[in-house]
Amino acid sequence: MTKPLHPLTMWVWSLILAIGIVALDNTWVALATVGVAALVVYLRRDGSPWNATFWWSLRVGVFIITIRALMGVLIGVPIPGTELFRIPILELPSWMPGIRIGGAVTLERLSSSVHEGVIIATMIALFGAASALTSPHKLLRVLPVFIYEIGITLVIATSVFPQLAQSVKRIRRAQQMRGIEKVSLRSIALPLLEETLTRSLQLAQSMDSRGYGESRKRSRYRPAPWLARDFWFVIGALAAATVMVAS
Amino acid sequence: MITFSNVSLIYPHSTKTILEDLTCEIAEGEMVLVMGQTGSGKSSLLRLINGLVPHHTGGILAGDITVDGISTREVKPGSLAHLVGIVGQNPINSFVTDIVEEEIAFGMEALNFAPDVMRKRVEEVLDLLSLNSVRNRAISSLSGGEQQRVAIASALVMHPKVLVLDEPTSALDPIAAEEVLSVLHRLVHDLSVTVIIAEHRLERVIQFVDRIIYIESDGETSIGSAEEILEKSTLVPPIIRLARALNLSEFGTSVREVRRLTTEVRNIDTQTVAQPRPSTSPVIEVDSLQIQYGSDVALHKISTVIGQGEIVALMGRNGAGKSSLLEAIVGVLKPNAGSVRVYGGDPAELAGSKRRETIGYVPQEPADLLYGQSVQGECTQADTQAGLAPGTTLAFLNRLVPAISENVHPHDLSEGQRLALVLSIVLSGNPRLLILDEPTRGLDYQAKALFTLALKEYARTLNNPVLLATHDVELVAELADRVIFLAEGEIVADGSTLDVLLSSPAFAPQVAKIMSPQPWLTVDHAVAALAANS
Repeated sequence: MTKPLHPLTMWVWSLILAIGIVALDNTWVALATVGVAALVVYLRRDGSPWNATFWWSLRVGVFIITIRALMGVLIGVPIPGTELFRIPILELPSWMPGIRIGGAVTLERLSSSVHEGVIIATMIALFGAASALTSPHKLLRVLPVFIYEIGITLVIATSVFPQLAQSVKRIRRAQQMRGIEKVSLRSIALPLLEETLTRSLQLAQSMDSRGYGESRKRSRYRPAPWLARDFWFVIGALAAATVMVAS
Repeated sequence: MITFSNVSLIYPHSTKTILEDLTCEIAEGEMVLVMGQTGSGKSSLLRLINGLVPHHTGGILAGDITVDGISTREVKPGSLAHLVGIVGQNPINSFVTDIVEEEIAFGMEALNFAPDVMRKRVEEVLDLLSLNSVRNRAISSLSGGEQQRVAIASALVMHPKVLVLDEPTSALDPIAAEEVLSVLHRLVHDLSVTVIIAEHRLERVIQFVDRIIYIESDGETSIGSAEEILEKSTLVPPIIRLARALNLSEFGTSVREVRRLTTEVRNIDTQTVAQPRPSTSPVIEVDSLQIQYGSDVALHKISTVIGQGEIVALMGRNGAGKSSLLEAIVGVLKPNAGSVRVYGGDPAELAGSKRRETIGYVPQEPADLLYGQSVQGECTQADTQAGLAPGTTLAFLNRLVPAISENVHPHDLSEGQRLALVLSIVLSGNPRLLILDEPTRGLDYQAKALFTLALKEYARTLNNPVLLATHDVELVAELADRVIFLAEGEIVADGSTLDVLLSSPAFAPQVAKIMSPQPWLTVDHAVAALAANS
C-alpha cells in the first residue's frame, strides 16, 4: 500500500485546480480535469468507506448538469443560432418583462447551459476526490485548535451524514415490514430527525468529555510530515492552474 | 475519589425530580453499580461525574460533586478528561475517527501528549483489551463486543482514575458481555480504577460490584452493599428471587455462594419426564435458505419449521445471521437460494393490510414505527388502519402499561412504554404470527415481566407462533418453548429451551447454574419442582 499523502495535499490540490477551472471556463478542460481526478482517486484509493465519496460526487454532478440543462432550455434568455426544436411559449403577465418560458431551443442555448452545469459539476467532483482520499476526520486533525467549534461541527456533520442513508434504509424497511406501503416523507423524517439529533448530541458530548479543544496545541500520534511528493503534487496543480488562468 | 454532597437535580421544563439529596462517597478502586427503573436518572447520575450534566444538558443542580478534589461545577467536562473516562450506551455514536488506533489516540492528541508516550500507552491498552489484531481495522467493521472494547480502551488510555460506563453490555451477547465485564473486574483489582456502572441486567454484574446506588422513581436514593440494597428492592435478579422463594437465611450475589446455601435443596431426586413436543401444524417453513451479501454468506442452507403456538427464541453471537433470518421470514430480504413459506405463502408477496394481518413485526428500534404527535394519535391511526373500533388499541396499551398518559409525545416515553406502544400497534392488526428483533434492550425487570406475560398470552390464547431474536438468556428461560441457536450462518442447536440452555454454560440462566444438575431454568420451575417433591 502506498503511504498516504499529507491530509492537506488533496484539498489544496483540488482548491487550486478549482480556481483554474473557473478562471479558464472551458468545458473540455474541465472534463479532462475530472478525468485526472478520477485517475488519482483510483490510483491512491485505500479501501476506506470514504473512497465512495468520489463516485457520489460524480452522480451529484450529472444530476446538476441535467437540471441546469433543463432549466436553461425552459427558462432564460433566447440565444440566436441553430434552432433544434421549438416548445410553446408560456404567456406571462406584463409585469414580468424579460422572462420567457419556452420558445425556440437553439444549439447555442443548450450548449451554454450544459457548459455551466459541467463547470459546477467539476467543482463538486474535485472536492469529492479530495474527501475520498482524505476523510474530513483526518483533515480535522491537522487544523489548528483555535477553530474548535468548526472542528466539532465538521466531525458531527461528516459522521452523522453517512449514517443518514443507512438510517433511512433501516426505517423504511421497518415500516415496510409493518405493511405501510406508501412510506411518506413525514413518517421517515420524524424518526430520522430524532435519531440524528440524539447522535449529534452524543458525539459532541463524547468529544467534549475526551478533552477536545482543551489544549492549545495538539500532538499527533502518527505524524504526517509534508513530503516531497506532496510538494510536487501541489506544484503540478499550481502549474496547471497558472496556465489556465493565463490563457 | 468521588464525593456527592447533597446533590439534587431537576431538568428545566420538568416537574420530575431526577435526584434528591444524594450524599455519598466512592473510594478509590471501588466498583459501584447504579440501578433503577428505566428512565429513573441513572444516565444523569453517571454524567454528573464528569460534568456533562449540567454543562451539556442544562438543569438545576444543587449540592456539589467533586472528583479527586475537583468540583465538576467549576470545570468543563474537557478539563476532567485525564481523570474521568466515560463510555456511553451506544459506543458507535461516540466514535470520532474511523480507525481503531486513531480512535484510541484521539483523547491523548487532544491533550497534547508527547508522541512516544502515546505510542507506549496505545500498545499497552491494545494488549490489555486484546485489541491488537484489529488495530488497523475500520471501527465500523468491528463486532459489537469489539466496538465496546475500543470505547473502553480509548477511555482507559488516558489513565483515568474513574471509569464511568452506561449499560456497557446491553447490546452484547452473553459471551461478549462476560468478556467486557471481566476486563472491568481486572481493572478494578489490578489497577485500582474506580468503576461506576449502570446496568439493567443485574444478573450479569451483581457478582462484581462492591456497592449499589439505587435510584427510586421519585429521585430518592439509597446506597449500600449489594445484599442490603437487594433485600428491599423490587428490581432483583433471579438469584435473589430464588433466595426469597426458598426462604434462604442469607442472600448471595454469586452463583458460588448461593450454591453453597442450597446444597440440601438441590439434593433431591426429581424425575424429569421428557415432554414430547406437541405436534402442531407448521406456520413458518424455511427450506435450505441461503442468504448472501456480496461474497459474505449470512445464512448457509438453513432449514427449520415453526408450528402454531410455539414461542421460539433465536440466539447467537452478534452477526450470526439472526436479523437476516428474521428479515427473510418477514419477506423483505430475497433469498439467494431455498425458500421461506409463511402459512403456505411467499411472505415477499404480502402487502398492506394483508401483511399486517399475517405478520406482526417489532423492529430493533421500536421508535422507527412511531411518527405520530402523541400516544393517542398513534393508537387512533392503528385503529383506523386495522378497521377496529376507536379506542381498542389504547385500551390494549392500558392493559399492558397502566397509567400511560395519552397526550405525551412518543419520544418522551420510557424505553419500556415505547416498546409496549409499538407492540400494541403491531398487535392491533391481529397478526397470525409475531416477530420481534431484540425487544428487551434497556428494559428493567418489571417491564420485562409485563412483556413476557403479554407475549405468552398472545401465543397461548390465539395459538399463534412468536419468534424473537434476543441475547437475553433470562428472558428466553422465562418465555420461550424452543431455542434455535445460530452460529456463522448455520443452525448449531435447535431444541427445547431446557436442552439448549443447559447444554452450554455460557448460555445457562442463573437459576440453572445454581441448581445444576437439576434441570430448572427459572425460579418458578425450581419452586414448582420442589413443591411437587415435598
